[in-house]
Formats: sequence, C-alpha cells, structure tokens
Amino acid sequence: MLSLRRSTLKYLQVRDYLRSLVVSELRPGDPVPSERMLCERFAVSRMTVRQAVDALVVEGVLERVQGRGTFVAPPKVDLQVRLASFTEEMTRRGMTAGVKVLASELVRAEPDIAEALKVAPGEQLVHLHRLRYADDEPMAVEHTWLPADRLPGFLDGGTPDSVYVELDARGLIPDWGEDTIDAGEADHEEAKLLMIKPGKPVLRISRRAFTGDSAIEYSRSAFRSDRYTLWVPVARPQPAVVPRKRTEETGAAAPGATT
Amino acid sequence: MDKAEQILKALGGAGNIVEIEPCATRLRTEVHDAALVDEKALKAAGAFGVISAGQVVQVVVGPEADTIATDIEDLM
Repeated sequence: MLSLRRSTLKYLQVRDYLRSLVVSELRPGDPVPSERMLCERFAVSRMTVRQAVDALVVEGVLERVQGRGTFVAPPKVDLQVRLASFTEEMTRRGMTAGVKVLASELVRAEPDIAEALKVAPGEQLVHLHRLRYADDEPMAVEHTWLPADRLPGFLDGGTPDSVYVELDARGLIPDWGEDTIDAGEADHEEAKLLMIKPGKPVLRISRRAFTGDSAIEYSRSAFRSDRYTLWVPVARPQPAVVPRKRTEETGAAAPGATT
Repeated sequence: MDKAEQILKALGGAGNIVEIEPCATRLRTEVHDAALVDEKALKAAGAFGVISAGQVVQVVVGPEADTIATDIEDLM
C-alpha cells in the first residue's frame, strides 16, 4: 500500500510540474519535456510519467501528436452566452471566423422547426447549412432557419455573408433569445465536417432569437467540445413573487401594503 | 385585460401560485395544482413557450419577465 501511495504522489508531482510549466513558461504548440527527462528529474518510472501526461491529455491541457511527441494544447475558446453572431463571437475571442456554406435554400417548415419559429408547419423557410471555422479549423456545424415571408429576397444576392448583418439591414436584428445547450456525440456527418472521430463529444446549442415579439431565427449547432468552452455568468436571482397573505374579511389592510 | 392579468389567470389565478420568479426571459412559476394551468391561454397571452415539469411551469415571456413579474405581484 505504501509503495502505491508513493507512486501516486510521484505521479501527482509530475502532473503538477507539467501543469505549472504550461501556465508559466510554455506556449500553445510548444513541446513538453521528454519522458526520459521527466523520469530522471523526478526519479520515477516511465509508466508514472505516462500516467501524468495521460491525465493532462484527458483534461485537454496537452495533446499527443502521433510520431512527433506531446505538446501544449491550443486554448479552448471561452464564450459567454450572448446574442451575437458566430463571427462577432470569434472576433471578440481574438480568432478569425470562417464559413463554408453547405446548403442555402428555401424549404417547407417541419413541425418542430415551425413550432420554434411560431409559423404554421409547411410554411416557407430560408434554410442555411454552414460549417463554421475559427482560425481555419472547423469549430461548429450549424443549421439555421428563418421565416421566408418576413425576409423577401433573402437569398437573391446569394447566401449573405452574415445573417445578422443582413437582418440588421432590414431592421430585424434580434434583440433577445434563448439558447438551449445539450451534450451530445458527433454523428458520422458532423464528425467528418468537424474533422473529429464519430462519437466524440459535441456541445449542441439550439437558439431561438426574437425581434421584439416575433421569432426571426432558429438554429441548431454542434460545437467541437475540444475547442469550445461556454462561459455563463451567474448571479443570485431577484426574490420570487409570492401571493400576499390575505387578511380574512376584516377590512384591515394587508401587512406591508401601501397606499 | 393586460398581459400580466392574462398570464396570472392562465396560471390558475393568484390562489394557485406558490411563487413566481423572473429568470431573464422566463417566469419560473411554482403552482399548487398544475392541472389548473392553461397552456393555450398562456400562449394566447403572448407566451413564446411553456415548459412544465411537475408543479413548476416556466413561461417564456422574453426580456419583459421582470416587469411582468412586478405587475403580477401587484395583482396578487
């Protein structure tokens, strides 16, 4: 037992040393010290060093590149949930957004999409299927639907570079919405587009965006979980509203009531 | 009837409310009897969606949630 505990401690030492190197000295893409060097420095077995490196690879701090070694992993993009376009978000994070349009067409609304956009099933919708890039690497696959009758000629000049810029030009920029976020596994098509293995985790974000009282956009995106972190600011809620204790038939004012 | 009144009525009236908490775009409502909640009437009152689980009904009302909650408080 004692020796097991000792090797556990050694493994933690190596792991923490590597972690502090990543934070203080190394930059994304830099190689980490070799296994042999770490073995010597901490007087541990190669197995213990591997265990430490494995833990950091799983955490996403390090990445192994076949045949080349182990490197500091690129940072994940950390995003606050807010009503901004993908391009705006990537720019705010210091990355360059790119897009590849996979489909751009008019379709009839399927029942679930119709419900989200508050239109009748079968109504005409603009549908965009896009692969989103950040710094030339795939970040997300996205389907977007918009009500066609509110956006005459939306696709006439080809697919707009930015849906939000186009909506803004029409005075229809969404001012509020709701995102719903689920964990999921990349299916074969998504995996191929995102250049990850099928079954790898993705973050599924569906968004309903409104311009005042009208739903203007519904989208479903799958983000690569190895490149994307969601940041949600939290605050204590306002106190809940509860019914006042009514004073029974006495004519007296309820406690705390003001005129 | 204004929006707050319609929503309160569709939730089964003040007597059915345990509490209502405005959460950004939703009114998170705890009710005594979920059967008294009229989802159609909530949507007719302008709700963009209704999500129910047990005694909790979340009414999607948009960024006005705080104002509507305050208006409902005045009605209770």
